[in-house]
Amino acid sequence: MSKKQPAFGEFIREKRLAKGYSLRKFAELIDVSPTYLSLVEQGKVESPPTAERVRRMAEVLGENPDELMSLAGRMPEDLPGIIRSEPEEMPQLLRAAMGLTADQLKALAKHAKKLQKEGH
Amino acid sequence: MAKLPAKVERVPWVTDGSIEAEAETLFALWQKDHGEVAEPPVPVDDMIELQLNMRYEIDDLQKRFGHGDVLGAIWFNEQLIRVDRSLDPVEHPRMLGRYRFTLAHEIGHWQLHRRVFLRDETQMSLTSAADAAAFVCRSTDQAREEVQANTFAAFLLMPRDLIRRAWIKWRGTDDVVCVLDFDASTSPGSVKARQDAAMQRFSKPLAERFHVSAEAMTYRLEALGLLTRDRSLFG
Repeated sequence: MSKKQPAFGEFIREKRLAKGYSLRKFAELIDVSPTYLSLVEQGKVESPPTAERVRRMAEVLGENPDELMSLAGRMPEDLPGIIRSEPEEMPQLLRAAMGLTADQLKALAKHAKKLQKEGH
Repeated sequence: MAKLPAKVERVPWVTDGSIEAEAETLFALWQKDHGEVAEPPVPVDDMIELQLNMRYEIDDLQKRFGHGDVLGAIWFNEQLIRVDRSLDPVEHPRMLGRYRFTLAHEIGHWQLHRRVFLRDETQMSLTSAADAAAFVCRSTDQAREEVQANTFAAFLLMPRDLIRRAWIKWRGTDDVVCVLDFDASTSPGSVKARQDAAMQRFSKPLAERFHVSAEAMTYRLEALGLLTRDRSLFG
């Protein structure tokens, strides 16, 4: 079991209560059984919910899907494909970016977008 | 003949009237904070988390307690209610009535018994293990606190005014229905069985709207004087 799951479960519980959803109501909205949702909240499931399900939770709760995905211990489903698309350079880029601050990463992403607009 | 020792009860005796008042008060508070409940069912799921601010979990209680008849339990200090996953109304739709009754029953413990229990907290913590629930509720338990919680559950799930309104809407009047008048003597079975079947014919439509069992609704309709099996009461 991922260490992140208890934090994820507790986060989901707090957010849905803040939105005024009971366990049963929220389970219905994300199309799972109340038992499954409760086990997720208690951090008692074998593996985290699927990426699609986490995305649906984020949508109903108005939370950032990538953030929720990471809290759940799930990698957003497009990332493995992106890394595989440039098997040498992409991991290099990620390793080089390790340790940068959030603001520096934002600046880097902005620069990457600019490069894309200008064409290769 | 030797006298049986008096059973030691954990909670004081109270009248059904005061249990009904507790249930009505909670329902009134809910409506004040969340708007009128004009139509059944009474939202007991929501009440636990959004009105009483208690923690609510569905879990494998049979595994936790090591026997098969525990459907619900309450931990007063943790403000926590757990129900057994065999009652999940999505995984097991025919358990819906049982599920809701169990939730309402645990709410009953919270409303009726938490003061008694919390006063006893030091004593209890001496005798109970860390994970021991204050009340583990078995379907067969006839201890006073269990009977009181069942009474509370019926009052909460089937409030007097809501029942009367639903009955009038359905029947067009609040006249009492005596099942003897509807007993078709051609139908099979004993008199008692035929009466029970006739009673259920009248309680079932309302039971379905209130998300309770037909048995629970039959008791409630009898108690409210809307349904009876015995005409002599009025003769």
